[in-house]
Amino acid sequence: MLNPATAQSVIDHALSLGADFAELFVEKHLTSSLNTISEKVKSVDSGIDFGIGLRIVFGEKVLYGYTNQTGAEVLKRIASNLAARDRRDRLNERVAFDFSVMKDRHPSQIVLSKDAAIDSKVEYLLKADAIARAVSNSITQTRGYCMQREQAIEIFNSEGLHTSDTRNYIRAGLTSIASDGNEQATGGWNDGGLLGWELNGSMNAEYTGEEASRQALVNLSAKPCPSGRMPVVIGNGFGGVIFHEACGHLLETTSVAKKASVFHDQMGEMIASSVVNAVDDGLMNNEWGSINIDDEGMPTQRTQLIKDGQLINFLVDRIGSEKTGYPRSGSGRRQSYRYAPASRMRNTFIEAGDSEMDDMIASIDKGIYASHMGGGSVQPGTGEFNFAVTEGYYVENGKIQYPVKAATLISTGPAVLKEISMVGKDFALACGMCGSVSGAIPTTVGQPALKVDDILVGGNA
Amino acid sequence: MSQVQSIDSGLKLASEQVFNRVKDAGAEADLIILSAESLSLKASEGKLEEHTVSNTQSFGVRVIKNDHVGIAYSEASDSESLLWMVDQALKNAAFSDVEPHEHILDSQQRLVSDDSIFCPEDGASVDQQIDMVLQLEQGLLEKSSIKSVPYNGFSDVSSSRYLFSSAGLSAAAKQRMVYAYAYALAEDGEKNAMEGSGQMSRLTAQLNVPELIDTVASTSLDLLDGKPIPSKHYDVIFDQECQVELFGVFSMVLSGKAAKEGINPWRKKLGEHVADSRLSLRDKPLLMDGFGYALFDDEGVATKDTDFIVDGKLSSMMHNSVTASYFGLTTTGHASRSARSTMGVGLHQLAMEAGSAAASEVYAGEYLEITSMAGLHSGANAISGDFSLGVSGFLCRDGQRVQPVRGITVAGNFYKMLNQIQCIGDRRFWNWQRTAWMPSIRFADLAISGE
Repeated sequence: MLNPATAQSVIDHALSLGADFAELFVEKHLTSSLNTISEKVKSVDSGIDFGIGLRIVFGEKVLYGYTNQTGAEVLKRIASNLAARDRRDRLNERVAFDFSVMKDRHPSQIVLSKDAAIDSKVEYLLKADAIARAVSNSITQTRGYCMQREQAIEIFNSEGLHTSDTRNYIRAGLTSIASDGNEQATGGWNDGGLLGWELNGSMNAEYTGEEASRQALVNLSAKPCPSGRMPVVIGNGFGGVIFHEACGHLLETTSVAKKASVFHDQMGEMIASSVVNAVDDGLMNNEWGSINIDDEGMPTQRTQLIKDGQLINFLVDRIGSEKTGYPRSGSGRRQSYRYAPASRMRNTFIEAGDSEMDDMIASIDKGIYASHMGGGSVQPGTGEFNFAVTEGYYVENGKIQYPVKAATLISTGPAVLKEISMVGKDFALACGMCGSVSGAIPTTVGQPALKVDDILVGGNA
Repeated sequence: MSQVQSIDSGLKLASEQVFNRVKDAGAEADLIILSAESLSLKASEGKLEEHTVSNTQSFGVRVIKNDHVGIAYSEASDSESLLWMVDQALKNAAFSDVEPHEHILDSQQRLVSDDSIFCPEDGASVDQQIDMVLQLEQGLLEKSSIKSVPYNGFSDVSSSRYLFSSAGLSAAAKQRMVYAYAYALAEDGEKNAMEGSGQMSRLTAQLNVPELIDTVASTSLDLLDGKPIPSKHYDVIFDQECQVELFGVFSMVLSGKAAKEGINPWRKKLGEHVADSRLSLRDKPLLMDGFGYALFDDEGVATKDTDFIVDGKLSSMMHNSVTASYFGLTTTGHASRSARSTMGVGLHQLAMEAGSAAASEVYAGEYLEITSMAGLHSGANAISGDFSLGVSGFLCRDGQRVQPVRGITVAGNFYKMLNQIQCIGDRRFWNWQRTAWMPSIRFADLAISGE
């Protein structure tokens, strides 16, 4: 996408300004998006993002610029402007590029540059819509979407790295809206991965439609949620957002290096209950949060974060490694050429345990079973997090009683990790988008169902 | 003397290429071109940690052929890419359902904003701006118990928006935003708190860094001793930042597009009471103090004030020409789209009428002042109105903060809450991003979960 001679001249120019390190991140990103409202195709759109990000490092200072233009002179001018205050004699000589490409662990077939497959996507969403609306007359509308992207990247740096990769993302889902005339409620289902529209083969329009409507009807009948501190069983799959928010963000060197994480000085310490084992794995075949190489060109890896409750690794990017001394983990990620990379999560999950779901529910006197979770957020400096329950049930005397709505769980990372007392066997993963300093990136969350003994539930009963 | 910008001849040429292709295909179209130049700076431990500059441009075309609408965009501006974009939009249109209400407006207007007001020359040098962000971090670190300022920054963004249509419309608006922000981590033994704030202006020299330092330091330090309060129903006042965020999340009830799509819970309530009769809410796009100022919307329609709620009754919604046509109305000038998106509607700058309550009434007795909310993107459902959020703030009595509060949630239904208003203050405040101008509202009886 960028002539190596151009790249070489820009990087050499940056080094001539006295930079310790220089890198070019070139991106061409095809996008296609399809949206339906009930049985109608609401919109079809597509486009190309193209740009180049230039990162220059002087000591611990990161200078970053980006443009849509590919000319060497434009890129050199950006470098000169960025380095105006730091300019010094050259410290490093350029290293000739050594082009290498990682073997693709995530083969894709029906990719955007070959076939947008709009007909097939429309067929899938309209079938899911018909099934969803057939579930009940109370389902007044559905909203479907299918998003496909093909991100081609090429990275050059002053250490001689020259590599490229292509990432194919697909995600499709349906939201059902239920109404009883006065109140409205929603439910949804989606799936996705690091692959092409061959995802269609493993997705089931019947299940998508039925599950979206089932959730919407449950929520329409839900009562206000009791509030206060109580035990909560969090369901599998997207329930893993609890670990993502409560702990994952606090293990990124983006916050660790600034001592803006409550775990920055806890390496080797027991930060969780001994039943907790947690992993961030970029290698899982065709999973939504997987990559071949990170956005700094390093082959990604599987990183065990917590072993039997003990913190054993952080998620480390290049700058994070220089600041903390921990080795890089192939976790440098960014949304696009518009962002400098930062340490970020990939497929992050709590590993399966040995508790039975029935035993977890039976152990609750008064509490909540949060079967489906929505998104959440965390303040890394204090570890305070929140996340929303999108389908929940009140549990009393060891039995599920009735559905509840508008519930939020809040706590701090250090506190909740020590309150996990039971970890189930029903491990599952789910797609999500994670927003942070380097933009919004695809990440997978996951866990088996697990029991938190004490957490604050916000409700309005 | 005003400085009215001319429309760049290169962009005119690009638009001609696009519209020639559109015409050849027997379609009509409009083209939005967004460009921006930005500088952003971040400080860490007394040094400049990040320095980012950018110069970007994106083109987005909306074609309409035989009542089918297609969208495509490109960040590349060469002829080949622009023509690919048009062809792609035409292909996309073939898959879309018929939309009889969507047309390119028959407008040959030429609308251009005044650069001297909205995009003034900033005399500050980059060195001065770097000094400012260093001063911001340093000033906070000098405060007792502030251990670090993990998130801080200064940005200077000049952005331009151009609209052209096959009917002959040409419109251009440019604006500059200069802002600084910081989140400070306060620690005292085992206790910690991290809060932040910001300031926005059109000129670097108008930012008041010492004032920002004091605001950020006090919001973090004042919450250090925060703890949960007993679970029960409290009167609640959201500070101006939180109140604007909350109204923003639930602004879907004002959306003509959501009404057309059947998901706006107020879609059948025009003329009915939807809120306390003391509440009046309008959009004032031409209020020049705000950063939501817009001379024209994204269809090139000149904007004007719109009353949404008058004395508690729903008076109007936000409409573009599509939603207005669907409901048999005229557009309110709220068309909104980026280069990448389909035509929607969007607020410019929300202004709420001041109420009659003096501060002594608004802040009388016991109430909870909420100064920070978490999880708004996930814990609030605009379709149902339900929300449940983690919040921080202060338990107050007669206008005095008597206890910092953290680790609690507030839950309720926003649409019902608009009828639980105890009083509305007689003074209006801008949020720091200067997108909304509202008085304080005291809401009665919201469920707080704490101890």
